Amino acid sequence: MKEKYIQSLGIILTLLYGFFILWLYWAAPKNLAEVSTKAKETIENTATQGTIIIGTYEVDAALFNDGLKAFRTDNFVAARDAFLRADPERRDAKTQFYIAYSYYRQGFGKLYSDDELFKKGLEETNRVTAADKNFKSDDADLKMKTPAELKNEFEEGLKVTVSDFNPFKLTRERK
Amino acid sequence: MKTEVEKEHGAAAEVDFLAVVDGELVEISPVEIDLADEEQTKVSAKNKIAKAEDRKPKTTAQKPNPQPAIRNYLLLPFIFLTVTLLGGMRLDSKDDAFIFWRPALFCLISAAILMVLFFRARLIRFEGWFSEDFSTLKNLANGALFVTLFAASAQVFNALLPEQGLPFWVLAFCFFWTLWNNLFADFDTKKLLKSLGALFGLAFVVKYLILANLTAPASESWLQGIFQNPTKEAFTWLFDLPRFSAGTGYIQFFTVIFYLLGLFLLPNSFKTKA
Repeated sequence: MKEKYIQSLGIILTLLYGFFILWLYWAAPKNLAEVSTKAKETIENTATQGTIIIGTYEVDAALFNDGLKAFRTDNFVAARDAFLRADPERRDAKTQFYIAYSYYRQGFGKLYSDDELFKKGLEETNRVTAADKNFKSDDADLKMKTPAELKNEFEEGLKVTVSDFNPFKLTRERK
Repeated sequence: MKTEVEKEHGAAAEVDFLAVVDGELVEISPVEIDLADEEQTKVSAKNKIAKAEDRKPKTTAQKPNPQPAIRNYLLLPFIFLTVTLLGGMRLDSKDDAFIFWRPALFCLISAAILMVLFFRARLIRFEGWFSEDFSTLKNLANGALFVTLFAASAQVFNALLPEQGLPFWVLAFCFFWTLWNNLFADFDTKKLLKSLGALFGLAFVVKYLILANLTAPASESWLQGIFQNPTKEAFTWLFDLPRFSAGTGYIQFFTVIFYLLGLFLLPNSFKTKA
């Protein structure tokens, strides 16, 4: 074999082996079985990133509909799971709005709201704003249409004020 | 019936596959062209072929030997990259799970100092590795080998230095002191390799024999550990020693051996002798 072929082969193999080692240290699989699992995850993530770069990233419509069904039946945990899988890169404002809204509906209580869920909801609302500042939902089932309204609801829910002890508060409805 | 000239051409065609000889020309034994007898002509042609066959080994010996290239561009990068892979690998004491320990910044600094040492001790001759006379491909291939050498050096330090706590700083200081002194010492390649072998061997003994034996094995609870191995638990806590499986020592033993083997095989120059 000519020396230049050996040199070319050497460079290619060195690069491949080098990238494999870098990947191993980045992915840190715990055993040999996990190597294939992590490799699959990496390929999927790379493919998604590729679609973002070339501008063909789309939300998985089937998973989004599954999430919406679960959302309407108040199965918020399943809904969030489906929404997250539908939009793994969390770039779609509509999907992120539903995720934030699910925290509101799940955390809402007539006596008191769940602070943990409301805090998470507040974070998710910020994601909606980051994805689309002028987002407005067209879902008639939702009483709050914009991230600003949702954010306000979360912030009010997290505050402890005198109005929290108002007995009429028990009559308020979930939006 | 073929003429004498045609037969000669035929014989020449048979030996034509031989590569071009750029050495001295060996004169073929006298060809008796004035032979009239056909039998003699055949013998003469056979003689020519036989002599051409005799020349064959000479010609092959002058062909470029691929073995050094295979060693330099395939075997050595493989060895150094394997060292890079294994140097940061540890096994968890509980379930033998892989832990990929990334090198500390100190390992990169030490590796850089080691590279300077390699140049100073002529283990690597810069002008023999990179030159305008070489093709771009050769310079690139040499560069790739150099990068693998640097990565392997960093990972050897990662393998031999304790992961954290006081032992890390003590051994890191010892390494730095030795390397710094070596930078200003007169070294030849042989002495450098001996020195590195001794340095890495000692560090291996300290980490994987002494410190590893001071580390308490993983126990179900802290209290149980105290009762079962009070001294080891105390040392583990005091020196902040991580608990790794015994297999880690075996992996790192071969890492150091591979690294030293790679250094031993490393050519100081890629220039072919004229």
